[in-house]
Amino acid sequence: MVSSISPAWVLCQDNGISRRIVSVDGSVAKRLHLQGSKTSFARAFVTSIWQLKVGLHHSSGNVRLLPCIKCENSNKEGSSFEQVSVEPPPYHSYLDSTSGQLEPASGARASIPGQEFWPEGTASRVRAARAPEPMGASTTSPSYGQNPGSRRKKYKASVASSETSETSGVPDIPDDVLEEPKELLSEYVVYQSEPEEENLSHYEMDKKIGRPHPFIDPKAKKPVEEPLTSEELWWNWRKPEKEQWSRWQRRRPDVETVFLKAMAETGQIKLYGDHPTMTETSLYRARRHIYKEERLKAEQERLERIGPLAYYSEWVKAWKRDTSREAVQKHFEETGEDENTQLIEMFTHQTDREYRIMMGTDVRIRRDPLAMRMREDQIKEIWGGDPVYPTINYIQDPDAVIDFRGPDFHEPTPDMLAYLKEHGKIISREELEMKLAKEKTEELEMTDMDEAMAQAVDIGENDDEGEESDDGEEEKISRNWSILKSNPELRKSKGKPKNNNLSLEEAIDDSENLTDFLMDFEEDE
Amino acid sequence: MLKNSFLLCTGECYLHVPVQQPIFICKKRNRSIKSAAAAAAAVAYNATSSSAAAAASNLEISSASSPSSFPLFQTPSSLQPTPASELEPADPDFYKIGYVRSVRAYGIEFREGPDGFGVYASKDVEPLRRARVIMEIPLELMLTISQKTPWMFFPDIIPVGHPIFDIINSTNPEIDWDLRLACLLLYAFDCKDNFWTLYGDFLPSADECTSLLLATEEDLLELQDHNLASTMREHRQRALEFWEKNWHSAVPLKIKRLARDPERFIWAVSIAQSRCINMQTRIGALVQDLNMLVPYADMLNHSFQPNCFFHWRFKDRMLEVMINAGQRIRRGDEMTVNYMSGWKNNLFMQRYGFSSPVNPWDVIQFSGGARIHLDSFLSVFNISGLPEEYYHNSRLSNNGYNFVDGAVLAAARTLPTWSDGDVPPIPSIERKAAKELQEECQLMLAEYPTTAKEDQQILDSMPEARRTLEAAIKYRLHRKLLIEKVIQALDVYQEQILF
Repeated sequence: MVSSISPAWVLCQDNGISRRIVSVDGSVAKRLHLQGSKTSFARAFVTSIWQLKVGLHHSSGNVRLLPCIKCENSNKEGSSFEQVSVEPPPYHSYLDSTSGQLEPASGARASIPGQEFWPEGTASRVRAARAPEPMGASTTSPSYGQNPGSRRKKYKASVASSETSETSGVPDIPDDVLEEPKELLSEYVVYQSEPEEENLSHYEMDKKIGRPHPFIDPKAKKPVEEPLTSEELWWNWRKPEKEQWSRWQRRRPDVETVFLKAMAETGQIKLYGDHPTMTETSLYRARRHIYKEERLKAEQERLERIGPLAYYSEWVKAWKRDTSREAVQKHFEETGEDENTQLIEMFTHQTDREYRIMMGTDVRIRRDPLAMRMREDQIKEIWGGDPVYPTINYIQDPDAVIDFRGPDFHEPTPDMLAYLKEHGKIISREELEMKLAKEKTEELEMTDMDEAMAQAVDIGENDDEGEESDDGEEEKISRNWSILKSNPELRKSKGKPKNNNLSLEEAIDDSENLTDFLMDFEEDE
Repeated sequence: MLKNSFLLCTGECYLHVPVQQPIFICKKRNRSIKSAAAAAAAVAYNATSSSAAAAASNLEISSASSPSSFPLFQTPSSLQPTPASELEPADPDFYKIGYVRSVRAYGIEFREGPDGFGVYASKDVEPLRRARVIMEIPLELMLTISQKTPWMFFPDIIPVGHPIFDIINSTNPEIDWDLRLACLLLYAFDCKDNFWTLYGDFLPSADECTSLLLATEEDLLELQDHNLASTMREHRQRALEFWEKNWHSAVPLKIKRLARDPERFIWAVSIAQSRCINMQTRIGALVQDLNMLVPYADMLNHSFQPNCFFHWRFKDRMLEVMINAGQRIRRGDEMTVNYMSGWKNNLFMQRYGFSSPVNPWDVIQFSGGARIHLDSFLSVFNISGLPEEYYHNSRLSNNGYNFVDGAVLAAARTLPTWSDGDVPPIPSIERKAAKELQEECQLMLAEYPTTAKEDQQILDSMPEARRTLEAAIKYRLHRKLLIEKVIQALDVYQEQILF
């Protein structure tokens, strides 16, 4: 079963110089070789080894024939390149599915598209690059502009034409290169030193033969490690850091979310965590819807039950008469005013406040009590601020102490006065007077300076508008913008703890809650 | 080579109108005297392809012309030497200096003959739907000047303060384009590392140039054309004056060394005149009419039925020489371009320094009232097309008849004719008119001091004549040939008038 070994077929591996001699037939013949039985296998194997040796010899013989590119310094320094063994590819050429042609395995390039797909200008560039270089050497030399026409052939002297043969500048390609292999094969006889099979491991043998083998050499295989924890896994979700460099990164407020949070703060509901989850939010939403519907139904049912006069008399406090159905009926029989007329008469007793309340909603609960209990900032989160005065700063109190404390307010407030005194930016009045006395300037000027200094130094010194002294109301009056707008008199009595005679730090110490400076709450009505 | 070559050879040899430098081939072969009889049968209107005069029978056939084989001496075309093979290939450096600078020539080769350079095909080309590029020359190698102010030079080799720019600036924008180009050329010769310092060695020198600017007085007299002679004298005078004005003794050296003597300047003017290509180009967004001196494209000869044309590729700023679409080229065909159409021979002579016996735009002044019927004249010779573009329709003529060439077309244009719708010509009157015209032509011929034969003899006897002298003699020879051809054409017309 051993196929005859054609001398023309040489199997070469690992030799870059003679790689071109490898042909497709090599692989085919190899397969033929190895289809045989075990007994012939060994022989085939041996012969294939023989081919290997021959090939190597042949390649070494070829070194002399073919041009060998050597490094310049190879002989001087000894080649300092490390010998890296590259495993040859299992095939040297394959049938390319794209082009249908036989392609070399080493190209590693996608097939180049045809000329129709080239960008414009490429065709002319390619054509220019492919144009053959002119050959031939000239006998004349250039005159560099001195003798125009010097390199032309002067024909005037010769009358008869000379039939010159065309100079062919194309050199003959040496065809004698490929004739050597046959002779070499017959000349050399190779004695192999030792069979190579001893060196092959089980796995390599399997691989060589083509028997089923695992992908990885079991000797070279590394054990599978423990999988990483979720913290280590890089694609796992991690909580973002606490630091947020912009307020835009905070949680976006939603009506339900803010409501739930406020409710949780006041203790109405219990949240599992500090922020309501989607489940809780949706639960809340559903509940709210159902409760609303229930209330609406209840109200309607009540209206039907007790009649309109009795129903609407809730919002007419001044109507003290009996509003039951029987009374209405009786009244109708007495006076002939039907229900509607009686209703109208009842409504004439209604105040406008009551009217507004009545028209606000037609359910019993006029407003959501929770919304009233929400803090200002919570309200602002959902419904936004005043469109006219969108920030608190618009409502300006000239005596207001503006709080510039930031979100991470944990730094100790520096004692500004002491700091300024320390750095000499502020001096006390006594020192100032002493200095001035030393300088002995005019009395008039000193007074002026004194006035200015007095105004500048003492923060708390108040020359302008009067102070109210009622501290009781100061926390009470709400900072709700609408109320302030509608009730301008409230602005004045804002009730800041404006103890102008206190210094800053005393003022801070005085307030129980730092936010008192900003926001005051007021119960509705 | 057959010495008893036919008229066709002789006629042929002048078909490749010798331009100043890229002069065509085969002059050396044709010394025979034409005979009227042979001429009538054998002149091939084959301006594009080579004249295979050596074989003396088979002629190279280009698609535009009718088959020309003379039946007796038919030889298979494979043995037939192409005109290209008669010539020597040009110096290999000629193409190499261009190749190094991105000039490319595809499928052609440059050959040199006694009459100068020529471009010949080195392989067959099938008739294609698209024009094929045979040469491309980048802008950097050319010398170009815009035809109008502001003067723009591509490539811009003139530095800012150079006095040559003032000289160029002083020229008349309409008229003095050749003087400008001559200045630019001379400057380029002086410019270090300019391509033209290398290419200039392949331009024809002053003794090879056939331009009449370099002609002596006796050469001008040999023209036997007073107007042309005086025009040339004027031109020469103009060039001389320009040189004297701008190269007087006090000019700085950098100008002076460009043209130390007036002859060099006049030579440069003749080169500029004869090798200038006027093209409308687009460079970037700028559309300009340019006068260009293009290195390799100026080696193309002229023909009235050209193979090729010039095309400006603006993408990479190359001048392309392209083969006409649908043109079949054989190996060894000469590549030719139509320099200028619509000019008479004297204008060709004046500008390019050559003339052609088959110029279809030549004009003969007839006086007298004799007229022939235009339509019948055209149908006799199977000339079709509008008057601006008469051509010989070879499909109509089925007998391989090669009489009709450019001269006959010129006759069709210049003979006094009448054409009145459907009015039929009366043959007797036509014949009479034709005879009258022939007599006029004979009178014209008689006015010349020499006949065509004598001219030919003179040419043959003087192989070493000056180029300008040769050109002058050829000019008058062509003129006489034209008139003789007109006479023959009228003969044929008389024979073939239909009843």
